[in-house]
Amino acid sequence: MTYDLAFGWTGTIGTVTLGATKADGGSRKVSWQIGGGTTLPFMEPPPSSPSPLIAFEICDNPDYWSPIIRNYCGDIVSSPAEWAKAAEQSYGADIVRLYLTSTKARNFSDIASVGKTLEAVLGATGLPLIIEGSNEPKIDSEVFLKCGEAGQGEKLLLGTAEAGRYRSIAAAALAYNHAIIAQSPIDINLAKQLNILLREIGVQRDHIVIDPYTGSLGYGFEYSYSAMERIRFSALKGDADLAMPMICSPADTLTIKEVREADAKDIDDVAIAWEFYTGLAAAAAGAEIICVRHPKTIGMLRAAFADMKKLPAAAEVR
Amino acid sequence: MALKALDIYKLLPKKNCKECGDPTCLTFAMKLAGGKADVDLCPYLDDNAKSVLGASTRPPIRLVKVGVGERNFKVGEETVLYRHEKTFYHPPGIVFKVDDTQPDEEIAAITRRVRDDTLTRVGSELRFNGIAIENTSGSAERFAHAVSVVEQQQAHLPPVLITTDPAALSAALVHCGSYRPLLHAATSGNFKEMCSLAKLHGCPLVVRADTAEGLVRLVKDCTAEGIQDLVLDSAPENLGAFLVRSTQVRQLAITRAVPEFGYPVYLDCEKTGFQDAGLVLGISKYASVIVTRPLTPGPAKAALTLRQNIYTDPQKPIQMTPGLYRVGTPDKNAPVLMTVNFSLTFFTLQGYLETSRVPCFMLIVDTEGLSVLTAVAAGKLNEGLVRDTLKKFSVENEVTHRKLIIPGYAAPISGRVEEATGWKVLVGPRDAAEIGDYLHETWKKEAGA
Ligand code: B12
Ligand code: SF4
Repeated sequence: MTYDLAFGWTGTIGTVTLGATKADGGSRKVSWQIGGGTTLPFMEPPPSSPSPLIAFEICDNPDYWSPIIRNYCGDIVSSPAEWAKAAEQSYGADIVRLYLTSTKARNFSDIASVGKTLEAVLGATGLPLIIEGSNEPKIDSEVFLKCGEAGQGEKLLLGTAEAGRYRSIAAAALAYNHAIIAQSPIDINLAKQLNILLREIGVQRDHIVIDPYTGSLGYGFEYSYSAMERIRFSALKGDADLAMPMICSPADTLTIKEVREADAKDIDDVAIAWEFYTGLAAAAAGAEIICVRHPKTIGMLRAAFADMKKLPAAAEVR
Repeated sequence: MALKALDIYKLLPKKNCKECGDPTCLTFAMKLAGGKADVDLCPYLDDNAKSVLGASTRPPIRLVKVGVGERNFKVGEETVLYRHEKTFYHPPGIVFKVDDTQPDEEIAAITRRVRDDTLTRVGSELRFNGIAIENTSGSAERFAHAVSVVEQQQAHLPPVLITTDPAALSAALVHCGSYRPLLHAATSGNFKEMCSLAKLHGCPLVVRADTAEGLVRLVKDCTAEGIQDLVLDSAPENLGAFLVRSTQVRQLAITRAVPEFGYPVYLDCEKTGFQDAGLVLGISKYASVIVTRPLTPGPAKAALTLRQNIYTDPQKPIQMTPGLYRVGTPDKNAPVLMTVNFSLTFFTLQGYLETSRVPCFMLIVDTEGLSVLTAVAAGKLNEGLVRDTLKKFSVENEVTHRKLIIPGYAAPISGRVEEATGWKVLVGPRDAAEIGDYLHETWKKEAGA
């Protein structure tokens, strides 16, 4: 009698490369390849699948950021370059995700400054980057073109494309060979549809990361968790249009009631717990990039991922 | 190999004596076929019928009850590996662990905390479930004493007694033997004594082995001793081992490939070396009894919330009955605030309204449990619905004004609502946290006008 698990999957999660080193025409110290999984998350026999990447989120106008993080990180938050450097050297992130929140300002038009910010951040850290452009359809295409250009050769991950607005991001990604994040609201069919739309305009599968949308813990996570599991299983069952790695981006976490209104003495403890519980559960459901905003969440996730990779000697999962 | 109700009926005694709790043998057979009853409920089955029915009609994972009274919890009886296939039914009991070497006051304080702490979310009271006492001292007297300290708090919490020493266990059971404590653990070395204690006190028993073969053998040994209420501890030494073994147990249990795996799973987070990660993985990946050290406020709230999320059926959002609800004692001039019948939305808004201390009416419309933004996006929240709901609950008889405050996120439909209802529509803030300021300032001006 054997007790091994046999699921009989036929599909494989596709891979996406993030960041380019000198050898590949970029300037990053490292480049990551995510995806490649052939079974349930964390059940691959080593060394075939890497741990999920931990992305630290920063922005270029901290007025739009949670006061919890502004207080914790200090003055550094007013310099995206310094902040990015800290993300790499002090906080220990794998990737830096830069939100260009400056573009949210009323009548924003200084597109050149966006390029400068990106260049400064690229100079300050050797980590691969995720760039979140404007949410403003009117300036979207200019912002993304500027970012695409400023990061040419770096294999950026550009975000975030949605069904209603994906063309300008896709154009920038195609023109400068970057990957893109494709977000749909917690629905496997919508995720698939968006991937097909992107492919139709020329974005290759190995340039897409799926964002199934992460509702915060207590505010929609019950849906996101299953959406992630379902996307992963469809991919393993052979649906190539869903066979891309996923990103977990629980952007509302620090603004929900439980976190925002926590006692001052507990507020970091609560914020970290909320990010950690969400991120780890999402990783168990199949997400391969986990985004956080609190520096202290990073080490906790990393240690847990390493331990989850330790399999009992005899285990075999197919 | 599930049997059909008629096949099962053929094996029953056909006495229709009702002792199983069902009116007839046939209705009992139907329940058995659906996995909703236990064969043991019929006292008149012959051995052959018992063995045939036992294997194929019991739920693939046995329901095990821990503790007695109001705070008991039941785990097991799960049917799927992925919650989207159906749902998960019995949330894990999360128990706080103390050592018997800790000072009495500490043990007492932790017990009272588990007794009293509650987190109210979406109208449910979320709590931790019990106290585990570990025989760290190695002394039977000290162990029994620590258990007596827990019991003295009159908390009536399900205890988990952690010791492999039957003498220590026996001494502890003097204090809580009749409360269905969970005994941890039977191993290949002590299972005979552990089983006889479990039998004597009618307690559920954890079996512990670090290989699949070892677990299966122990389950066979313990069931042969007559113990049915078992819980499985695969003794994971790290998180990876837990993930793999727990998935293995669940998958092979629900497919009935390995009936010996058909019991709830136990996880002591500390033994993996990762308390928070153990909780996250235990909750999402099939643990039914989770032992942890007492948690600080952040992880405590996050763990209870994650458990609530994972054990909520995503097909059925928790809903409120549509209607006109009162906050405080509103009079005829009080504001009327419209919102959706998604429980999370209702309770979030209600919480802020209570804090604002402005008596008011909440008009709950039926969006089939969708949140404001989701309902607007799906077209479920529309002017017809608002008009009909205002009529249905005769809001015009409750207030003399004709002003309706709608959520900020419902702004796109404000014009149409105004036309359809004849009420003046005021678009409130998007975030319910701002409703207090809004009522004190904007509404006051509006009401005075
Ligand atoms: C979980 C979720 C779902 C769940 C459903 C959950 C549910 N029961 O409603 C599922 C997965 C089913 C879902 C489906 C869809 N979703 Co959805 N979903 C979410 C998510 C992540 C959280 C929603 C939530 O629970 N919010 C919490 C509750 C408490 O918020 P709320 O009801 O709005 O209440 C707040 C305020 O409105 C205010 N408030 C409430 N009442 C009142 C009353 C007054 C008077 C005032 C002043 C204030 C006030 O107080 C509350 C707290 O501040 C949101 C993203 C987000 N951050 O909101 C997307 C989101 C709402 N969904 C979205 C979409 C598009 C959809 C779909 C249409 C997609 C599709 N085509 O399938 C479907 C529609 C459903 C359908 N066809 O059946 C979009 C909406 C886009 C838009 N801006 O219009 C969002 C914003 C995600 C996104 N960014 O793309 N969704
Ligand atoms: S107890 Fe047994 S014999 Fe009596 S009605 Fe139930 S199934 Fe029939």
